[in-house]
Amino acid sequence: MKKFTIKTIVNNRKYEFSVSQNQTLLHFLREELGLTGTKCGCEIGECGACTVLLNGEAVNSCLVLVPQIDGKEIVTVEGLSINGKLHPLQETFMNHDAVHCGFCTPGMLMSAKALLDKNPKAGEKEIRTAISGNLCRCTGYVQIVEAINDASEK
Amino acid sequence: MKPFEYKAVNSVEEACSVLAEYGSDARILAGGTDLLIEFRKQNVRTPKVVIDISFIKEIHSIESPNGTIIIRPLVTHSEIVNSKVVQQYASLLTSAALVIGSPQIRNRGTVGGNIMNAATCADTVPPLIALGAKVTLESKAGSRQLDLSDLFIKPYQTKAKHEEILTEIHFTKLPPNAKSSFIKLGRRNALAISRLSVAAILTQDKNGKITDARIVPGAALPVWKRVTEAEKILIGEKPSIELFTAAGQKVSEVLISHTGRRWSTEYKEPVIAVLVRRALEQCTLTPNPSPKLGEGSSDLSELGEG
Ligand SMILES: Cc1cc2nc3c(=O)[nH]c(=O)nc-3n(C[C@H](O)[C@H](O)[C@H](O)COP(=O)(O)OP(=O)(O)OC[C@H]3O[C@@H](n4cnc5c(N)ncnc54)[C@H](O)[C@@H]3O)c2cc1C
Ligand code: FES
Ligand code: FES
Repeated sequence: MKKFTIKTIVNNRKYEFSVSQNQTLLHFLREELGLTGTKCGCEIGECGACTVLLNGEAVNSCLVLVPQIDGKEIVTVEGLSINGKLHPLQETFMNHDAVHCGFCTPGMLMSAKALLDKNPKAGEKEIRTAISGNLCRCTGYVQIVEAINDASEK
Repeated sequence: MKPFEYKAVNSVEEACSVLAEYGSDARILAGGTDLLIEFRKQNVRTPKVVIDISFIKEIHSIESPNGTIIIRPLVTHSEIVNSKVVQQYASLLTSAALVIGSPQIRNRGTVGGNIMNAATCADTVPPLIALGAKVTLESKAGSRQLDLSDLFIKPYQTKAKHEEILTEIHFTKLPPNAKSSFIKLGRRNALAISRLSVAAILTQDKNGKITDARIVPGAALPVWKRVTEAEKILIGEKPSIELFTAAGQKVSEVLISHTGRRWSTEYKEPVIAVLVRRALEQCTLTPNPSPKLGEGSSDLSELGEG
């Protein structure tokens, strides 16, 4: 299969890759980079388990072709903690029991991060909108909303 | 996904020459939120070449020269939501963009893709038709302009030729005395693909008489159009519940005359009438309620739908 060369920044590291053009960003992250924190759920944009940040915006990595990230910056759940120190959202998710089976958690965290990076004082309404594209089969969402609320600077 | 060749282009000119070269073997890729899903389906013919236009800067802007608004096709739904000029002069489009999919979908999905995919449930189309939008299609042979309402042949099919690319959507700003609304009814708030929606614009004179009315139902007819039969009922009258109810019933009637009675008619008939009435009511509230983040689609509690 034909390859395509791209330059990108993933979790603060610069890379130059030769990528196959038919691959989605989701599979590229999981299979080529070994970043399996990003989960593969529905692959049709419905569940949000594959959410990553593309130039700071939450996107479904299952709906992005990998050559489309050329020149752009990606942050995955692996990029949340810095030097072994957990991100405040990761702390509040644990404190609020917002992680049950954990399958939705990476996507939830990335949607929450996208929100708080733009609006550090987000209230419940904004939080619920921000995670409206992320499904959770376990928690009933309440603990997740509380966890994000706790990480918000209000 | 079946294999295809990928080509990223950096200008409309380059896109046009690649399109001219490959014709029906090529497909344009913008945000990919419709196309990549289509490619994954079984028994769908994947194109030989995918032309990625997402890097073309010249078709990624919102401008507002001389009383008009020009939206270029790579503008995302999130960018529409955040646009001050759109909020101020075409707030029904803001309302529609706000209820598309989820934040992730709004961050990637583009207006151009929404129009050119031509799904009956495309949420930006009814507001744009109500606004009288015109679109520009370009190809190596030149460019042409069409009324958006003339672009569609049937669901998932437009009059655009294989070698044409949508480069511009433009319309006149609504005057200060025009009020607009968009209401969508879906099964759930997020990710609800619109089953029924209504875009409405009402203009009133100083005495409160309606001087202009535009009603465009979404996801209801095979192709979108203004329901002039219902608009006529409103002109010259003053707003009232009875008047708006009559207009709603007219829209229902027209809809059924187009689609015939079928299994879903019993549901759609009263629902579309209520949606039209509510959309018109919203147009008479002062100030026109500004669309707010966090508001999902309308609930129809009085019909037992939520
Ligand atoms: C989970 C989910 C929820 C969704 N919810 C909604 C919703 O609530 N409301 C709604 O309306 N839509 C919804 N959509 C559909 C989709 O997100 C939108 O239609 C979006 O605007 C498509 O834009 P795109 O840039 O992603 O298009 P793409 O997938 O890139 O392209 C779509 C089509 O348009 C063509 N195209 C794109 N740009 C151009 C151009 N400039 N010139 C010519 N042809 C072009 C492509 O060739 C393709 O045929 C949803 C999709 C998903 C996956
Ligand atoms: S795997 Fe991407 S949204 Fe479900
Ligand atoms: S914790 Fe299991 S899906 Fe959310």
